[in-house]
Amino acid sequence: MDYFDVNMDLTKEDKAIRAAAREFAQQVMRPISLELDQMTAEEVVADGSPLWDFMKQAYELDFHSILLPEYYGGQGLSPLQIHLVFEELGWASFGLSVFLAVACFPAYCACMTADEELVETFVKPFCECRDGSIRGCWAITEPDHGSDVIAVGEEYFYSDTMQGNLQVTVEGDEWIINGQKSAWVSGGTVATHALLHCQVDPSKGFAGNGICVLPLDLPGVSRGKPLEKIGQRDLNQGEIYFDDVHVPKKWVIADPEYYVPMLDMILASANLCMASWATGLARAALEESLTYSKERVQGGKPLIEHYSMKQRIFHLFRRVETCRVVSRTAMNLNFNISPPHVEYSLWAKVQCTEMAYKNIHEAIQIWGANGLTKEYVLEKLFRDARATLIEDGNNETLARHGGHILAETYPRRPLKF
Amino acid sequence: MSVFKDKEMAKELFGDLWTKMIKETEFGEKLKKSGISILFVVKDPDIVMYVDENGPLFDNEAKAKVPVVTMQMDGDTVHKYWLKKVNIPKALAMRKIKAKGPVSKVLQILPLLKPGQELYPEYCKKYNLPMDV
Repeated sequence: MDYFDVNMDLTKEDKAIRAAAREFAQQVMRPISLELDQMTAEEVVADGSPLWDFMKQAYELDFHSILLPEYYGGQGLSPLQIHLVFEELGWASFGLSVFLAVACFPAYCACMTADEELVETFVKPFCECRDGSIRGCWAITEPDHGSDVIAVGEEYFYSDTMQGNLQVTVEGDEWIINGQKSAWVSGGTVATHALLHCQVDPSKGFAGNGICVLPLDLPGVSRGKPLEKIGQRDLNQGEIYFDDVHVPKKWVIADPEYYVPMLDMILASANLCMASWATGLARAALEESLTYSKERVQGGKPLIEHYSMKQRIFHLFRRVETCRVVSRTAMNLNFNISPPHVEYSLWAKVQCTEMAYKNIHEAIQIWGANGLTKEYVLEKLFRDARATLIEDGNNETLARHGGHILAETYPRRPLKF
Repeated sequence: MSVFKDKEMAKELFGDLWTKMIKETEFGEKLKKSGISILFVVKDPDIVMYVDENGPLFDNEAKAKVPVVTMQMDGDTVHKYWLKKVNIPKALAMRKIKAKGPVSKVLQILPLLKPGQELYPEYCKKYNLPMDV
């Protein structure tokens, strides 16, 4: 369904980009997402799964490279254009949006270095890929460490009691990596590359971590089984194991000296993506409910003609509009400054995922028992939305992190340049 | 204390370097094609420089322009950057370099500047600037 955009300054190009994303979202992404939702986690990633058709079509249309600069073959979209696309993709499927976005994370971070070898090895082949055969993942979460891997405002983050599940031994020009990442790594069992967080100096706790990019066909890399879960079942997640995996230091993006601010930069970008997809999710709840309430007759007239229903629909609408304003504002800020003001990304992620979840929760109430059945999309959206309150840092941890930043920086001074 | 003797020396050096990059290397054409303009706000020595495909401008002329990307850093970081001795992710993370403008454009500037990195050692010799920083 189309929507009125309160931004009156959208260009023809902006509108064309949004239209292309909407067509893909409606014609390809949503139908495949519904199909995948009914499959087991193993079936989702099996040969012949519709997942691979989705990836091929997404790559053919360059949706995999929208965060990357044109110079390397990416789309070089403006922050607003990125938001326009991500809202549409989030409307279609939150899980597949995550899968497609993390596919570019290794390349995205590699191009921050402007290092020729990293660009040639990781960035250009990814941008040129047209069949989905090169796909990354963001391997940060660990079996013993969930959201605490991002809790940089907490004392324990810097304590040597924080022993990572993935350890690095530095030998000459190499990192030798041993251990594992958790089952919650998005794309973990099928990714060809990773943006990998691992512990280099355990004496500093997680502040002693580092980040590298690597292909996952190196000797010593193995995978776990795809994870079964209640929501975002179209999103592959699973463990990655490392047994004496040798990575050249030239693939290192961050060492412990600047791991913490680098982590914040990555988190800020990831949370902006989450917020914009959540806007699409919130909108899906509104659209489904508005359509349903005009068709469903109760008490001798369509639901929408009941006074209380108009009120409920309005609340769905106001949350969508608020999500859009919040997530666009944060994206416009933090995709326009480096380094970002992280608290605004955290604000957007927490606010938008909470409102999207609330919208779908309320939508099910509008739908009544029909909202609970697998016959309609709403119950899938509900399961998907529940996961958003936890993924990319649970909202409580993100709020604590945001509070820590505010304690240190609030009020921010105006940018002087 | 900055590696640059004073503001005038830095302006002369960078005015010449950027002009040469634009007129004598592929940088000029690539910059024009990209549509990117850059405002450099440098501290110690304090310089404001604007660059587009037409060449560099300084001070008030530069401040009057509306750039696509603004980059702020100190003079020593500029020097190290041209010598290929700045780890960009580290410099951004540690706020040694601050940037304003679409991230995709900021990321695009870095590889565009490579011809300048090839020319810069000549300028170090000419202006007697240290290369072992």
